[in-house]
Amino acid sequence: MGGNHPTKKTPLILAFVPLVVLAGMIIFLLSPYGQSLINTGIPLPQVTIEKVEFHDNQILAYIRNTGPLEIVVSQADVNDRIQSAAIEPDSKIPRLAEAKVMIPFPWIPGTPYEIGITTSDGTRFSKSVEAAALAPSPDANQALLFTSLGVYVGVIPVMIGLMWYPYIRRISIGKYSFFLSLTAGLLVFLGIDALLEVNEIVNQNLAAVFNGQALSIVVTISSFIVLLYTSERLTQRAIEKAVLNKNHSSASSSSIEELGKSEKSSTERQEGEIYNKSAKVSSSTQEVQIQLQRYQQLLKPLTISMMIAIGIGLHNFGEGLAIGAAMLLGEVALSTFLIVGFTLHNTTEGLAIVAPIAKIERSRRMMIRRLVTMGLIAGVPTIAGTWIGGFLYSPMAAVIFLSVGAGAIFQVVYSLVSWISHHQKSGPSSSLSGHVIAGFITGLLIMYLTGLLV
Amino acid sequence: MTRHLLLICLLVFTGASIIVIGVISGVYKDFILNSLSDNGTVISRTNSPDSLVGGHVPGYPISDTSGTIIDPIDQVVDSRDSVVDPEKYLREFNYGRVSTLPNGSTLREFTLVASDQLVKEVSPGVSYNVWTFNGTVPGPTIRATEGDIVRINFINNGSLPHSLHTHGIHPAEMDGVFEMISPGGKFTYEFVAEPFGVFPYHCHMTPLEEHIAHGLYGVYIVDPKTPRPPADEMVMVMNGYDTDFDTENNFYTVNGIPYYYMHHPIQIEKDKPVRIYLVNMLEFDPLNNFHLHANMFNYYPSGTSLQPDELTDIVGLNQAERGIMEFQYKFPGKYMFHAHKTEFAEKGWMGTFFVNDKNTTRNSSPTDNSSFYDTLNNSFVTGNPETSGARM
Repeated sequence: MGGNHPTKKTPLILAFVPLVVLAGMIIFLLSPYGQSLINTGIPLPQVTIEKVEFHDNQILAYIRNTGPLEIVVSQADVNDRIQSAAIEPDSKIPRLAEAKVMIPFPWIPGTPYEIGITTSDGTRFSKSVEAAALAPSPDANQALLFTSLGVYVGVIPVMIGLMWYPYIRRISIGKYSFFLSLTAGLLVFLGIDALLEVNEIVNQNLAAVFNGQALSIVVTISSFIVLLYTSERLTQRAIEKAVLNKNHSSASSSSIEELGKSEKSSTERQEGEIYNKSAKVSSSTQEVQIQLQRYQQLLKPLTISMMIAIGIGLHNFGEGLAIGAAMLLGEVALSTFLIVGFTLHNTTEGLAIVAPIAKIERSRRMMIRRLVTMGLIAGVPTIAGTWIGGFLYSPMAAVIFLSVGAGAIFQVVYSLVSWISHHQKSGPSSSLSGHVIAGFITGLLIMYLTGLLV
Repeated sequence: MTRHLLLICLLVFTGASIIVIGVISGVYKDFILNSLSDNGTVISRTNSPDSLVGGHVPGYPISDTSGTIIDPIDQVVDSRDSVVDPEKYLREFNYGRVSTLPNGSTLREFTLVASDQLVKEVSPGVSYNVWTFNGTVPGPTIRATEGDIVRINFINNGSLPHSLHTHGIHPAEMDGVFEMISPGGKFTYEFVAEPFGVFPYHCHMTPLEEHIAHGLYGVYIVDPKTPRPPADEMVMVMNGYDTDFDTENNFYTVNGIPYYYMHHPIQIEKDKPVRIYLVNMLEFDPLNNFHLHANMFNYYPSGTSLQPDELTDIVGLNQAERGIMEFQYKFPGKYMFHAHKTEFAEKGWMGTFFVNDKNTTRNSSPTDNSSFYDTLNNSFVTGNPETSGARM
């Protein structure tokens, strides 16, 4: 071990060599000599007004210096008319730093306004607000309003959707495939919808310097991969636990782990294959394998449902953020029509949770408890979303959360599709059936049509 | 059996929660709608009218802040870097280096240096590359008497060609249009000052809009041989700055700095005549105007007549249009003047007169003033005899 020590240390030092050279290069470029070498053109200031809030006799604009240089804000205006204002923390804003501009102004609710900022070089940056509305203040009344809004658009619709459980339980395999793929269609739409929404936020509120589209893609893909891994782990853990509980004398803990591994690698495989493989890697008895098959049958759909619930929960959190933010930014009026739209739209999410587990054998009492839990997992985040969106809106947070939600939904779609294909193969026909196609398209259409109401 | 019971329970629970939440949110919807519709009254409730009156500022005063106040409307700024000192510019008339020619006529020599490199503060905290005559926008006010020889030594100290084009009557080669003065070049413009009146001068190189909008202009006054009656004389140039180059002005001013006379009221005396040489050098916007509060003025378009055209409180001016205004205030106090094109006013073109009542402390002034009161009254006859009567 002593001989290994220096060889362990050396590569670490070597790893730093390029970094040191790089640091030297940067120091050179930042030095006056380096700057005179490469500074062609004139850097222009850039300011992004991220958020405009209307308070009692005051307009607040949250601005960010998104240009290459430090800027000094010299003037503020409302509708291109200069107003007295104050800026905190300081009129000098370093690169990427944020400042709050306070303009005393007796604004009129429902009126459009354009808020402008002029920097010391005379460049004006502005942001329009469609209709001024009093910014929600974080008090109990407002929190309650957001909560009830979240319950309306998030929790109740999902719960209503869960009531399809008894129906789906009783239908034929063909119809069941239809509903499973309908769920996949719904989710694909939700995922795309989330990404489109992200794009809108990026274009309207997020400074170009943050490269929101790329951020969204990175977060979506990461979220997809992490959740995929997590769901596989969850299934594996559950199987391990179940098998351990049975405590078969012939099944040692190591062989169970191997069983788990084989299960993990066989998500898209046929049951028979799992059977063969687990028989190969383990020395366990026939009984263990039957047991495993039963768990597999049981746990796979449960995991899918749970992941759907989590994915929809993340999505609804993003949706809540958007609703809260829209209220904060005065972009939306509270209307019954809007709530009805969201309710219809989100009811289908309940169906998505129900579909994969409808056909498994389990006591209904347990199932109902499970369904309610998953409904809450899917719906309650909407409430938290409206709070955060309404009280502490940040376009960056909205982009990140919506992207996480999108990644989660695509992960669910992936699991669902593999479950459907698995289901198809065990059924009478092994090809892609008309039920699946019809279901998928119906899912997309339902979402599109109910989405028109929102 | 229990399964069905549980399903029914779930249904009942959902239904009940819908009803409960419906009621709660109904109540809160009312609350929210009320608070929204109340908002108009909220304003008057929290900010009583008293708290909004008292400042001379049209905007709303800033309360406490831990940050920086950015307030060009009533902020008095250090003017070291400013494009002009409006206080000084207001009453500064340059009569030139005076000498008498052998034929007995008066020669007035001026030097104007054009520059296009200066970066100056045009509004508090806002810097802009101004093009200037003698380093200020507007350039110095040149003044002569009808019949004087005006000689202007023009030096182009800029990086672009410039020229000097003076309004008035003069020979073609003194018009400053076809003779381009290159960077570093010099030219002497010489002409007889005629007719009497008030004129702009400006650079006439193309692109004309660019050269004028950046600030290459000033005022040239020709007095009649018999001087106008004495008065508190001032010059006012209405202009604008397009600091972000979108062919729309970001700032409007009188005498170069937005809002300057809001926080530095022009001090005048009660009952003492005031004469303003007003020139509109605004670019981009086709019309500008001047509105005087709580008073009426006699207006002499282009200043080419000794008889006023009308008695009014507002005059509209096109590009390079100008005239002379004469008035006096009957009551002491603070009075506003501004563009009645309110957009211009709210982007800087506003100011105030402060009328001081010094009659009690000054004994000689009534007799001193009586002669020109009479003259003024003569001119008022054509305007409004009742007003002149009331004025006495």
